[in-house]
Amino acid sequence: MAMNQQRKGRGLSQTQAAAILLVPFLAVYGAFLVYPFFHGVWISLHDWNLLAVAFNPDAREFVGAENYIRTLWGRNIEWGPLASPVMQTVGVLGIGLAFFGFRAGRLSKATALALGIAGSLFVLLPGFHPGEDGRWYDRRFWPTVGNTITFVALAVPGVTITALILAAALDGETRAKAVLRTLFFLSQVLSVTVVTLIWQIMFSPRQGLIANLTEALGGSPIVWLTDQQFAMAAIVIATIWWSLGIAMILFLAGIQDISKDIYEAAAIDDATGVKAFWYITLPNLKRTITLVVVLQIILHFQVFGQSHLMTQGGPNDSTQVLVRYIYQTAFRDSELGKASAMAVFLFVIMGAFSLVQFIVGREEE
Amino acid sequence: MLNRSYYWLITALSIPAFLWLIPTIWMVSLSFQPNDVLARTTSTTAFGLIPIPFTADNYVALFGFGQTPLWFLNSAIVALGMTLGVLAVSTTAGYALARLEFPLKRSIMVLCLVGLMVPEQAVFIPLYTMFADLGWHNSYHALILPRMAVPIGVFLMMQFFRAIPKDIEEAARIDGVGWLQIFWYIMLPLARPAMMTLAILTFLYAWNDYLWPLVSAREPDRFTITLGLASIQSNFAQSEGLGRVMASGVIASLPVVILFLMFQRYVVRAMTAGGTKG
Repeated sequence: MAMNQQRKGRGLSQTQAAAILLVPFLAVYGAFLVYPFFHGVWISLHDWNLLAVAFNPDAREFVGAENYIRTLWGRNIEWGPLASPVMQTVGVLGIGLAFFGFRAGRLSKATALALGIAGSLFVLLPGFHPGEDGRWYDRRFWPTVGNTITFVALAVPGVTITALILAAALDGETRAKAVLRTLFFLSQVLSVTVVTLIWQIMFSPRQGLIANLTEALGGSPIVWLTDQQFAMAAIVIATIWWSLGIAMILFLAGIQDISKDIYEAAAIDDATGVKAFWYITLPNLKRTITLVVVLQIILHFQVFGQSHLMTQGGPNDSTQVLVRYIYQTAFRDSELGKASAMAVFLFVIMGAFSLVQFIVGREEE
Repeated sequence: MLNRSYYWLITALSIPAFLWLIPTIWMVSLSFQPNDVLARTTSTTAFGLIPIPFTADNYVALFGFGQTPLWFLNSAIVALGMTLGVLAVSTTAGYALARLEFPLKRSIMVLCLVGLMVPEQAVFIPLYTMFADLGWHNSYHALILPRMAVPIGVFLMMQFFRAIPKDIEEAARIDGVGWLQIFWYIMLPLARPAMMTLAILTFLYAWNDYLWPLVSAREPDRFTITLGLASIQSNFAQSEGLGRVMASGVIASLPVVILFLMFQRYVVRAMTAGGTKG
């Protein structure tokens, strides 16, 4: 029996064996990722009502780029260099940093290029605004993108800096440090719905732990989730609590790659603790930091659960984020065509960052 | 090394670590308090961080009525099914791409690499219409199949197989062993650590996934526990009682927390691999 099997197997060429081994994956890959992706682009070119098309497949109508125009563009749109001073200044700073960083040899070519392109986009895109008598065709889309960027801009530095400090402090073989690492990592394995459950009640003005503590200290409780000033901060806090672990672990791995000799040499010069962190750990972690930041941008740009469950996008749309808007456009408003156009927009942004991640990752190897 | 400054560091870090743990402790503590007390105040003893007055009724009620046990079962079936499915397609394809020579190999690899860039959110609408046309929604396979198409597992396995020395295979080839037998009897047993990592990554993903189940599973008896928990938390105070909702949260977290504490090294490796590569 065994002999028979062997002889049969021997008969297969490498190509045949590869075909047998690859077919299961390629079948699911083609059916549930490649095909849906192109079908999504196809849907985005149609006026496609979820319910109407479900009853009558011919109820869709080819409209070309209209969904994209209805989402991204408006009437009398103009471009000005001062339309959004904050974002555009950030963009100019980014370009400057890329240019001088590269000239000074502090940044690699790929990093400088990525930073330069990102900076240019920050100068270019927020410059568009409706002129006189003009308006966006979709008033909610760009504010939603803006909220998503705000969320990313708060959550990513929050996670990165906290994780970096913790990783530097918790690097080491001792038992106590291992226990502390476990404690900080634990919340990472919880599901988004558990995290939102915990933090919704943490932030509750009547039952919440935070409100109870504020009252005990003599303050008056904040209505975190329904106050426009605090709602975004609340979901950012919950997110930092939730997603610190991976960043910390990646930093720990990066720190372990730094040669111990450097620290020993520095210790002779009395550079230990904070000094060693500043002059040795940080410069040697530059690539890991870039990687972690890009990863976090990709991850947090896709935020959905925190906004959907904790604040329902509110108050007054202040925590409405892109994926939630796509979800609602598709499954509440049944506008699959427009939702798909937004999904393609999301894919383009995510794809660009994935490319950066890929390039940075390659450089590391 | 273990000098005074070390103990200072540990003590100083214990405080933020404890603060970090407080939300979790609070959830567990609330789940052990009576609902009528919680309706009045959540800070009976030590701001509610210690469950006094104590009761286990919330857990008893959870398994007596309601759909939590069913949701838990659904989650278990989906997570285990997805884990087996991903392992099956990833080990086979990963081995072929790592070790076999065949036409179009490079093109297939590039095609898979591009797939890593497609986020779930970019395909969930077309997947929804596709599964609706097939009448597949509200089923286990509808929740399992889309994740099997994500190429991250293939790359994890491919990297692992590449690192195995070639002599083992060559010796087996000289003895007349076929490629499929080499894969099954030699490579798979060697790949156990990588498979473990991938299995944990997939299980965690399956257990915690929210967006796709939200779109696909519309009937409450097909909810996963993650989805079910979302459905009861919007009106927790009125309908179910805070203690019971918290007990559901604890039950929903138990498998992943146990998995984490038992296989910490694998979980960390899995989440890092999943994080850096897709």
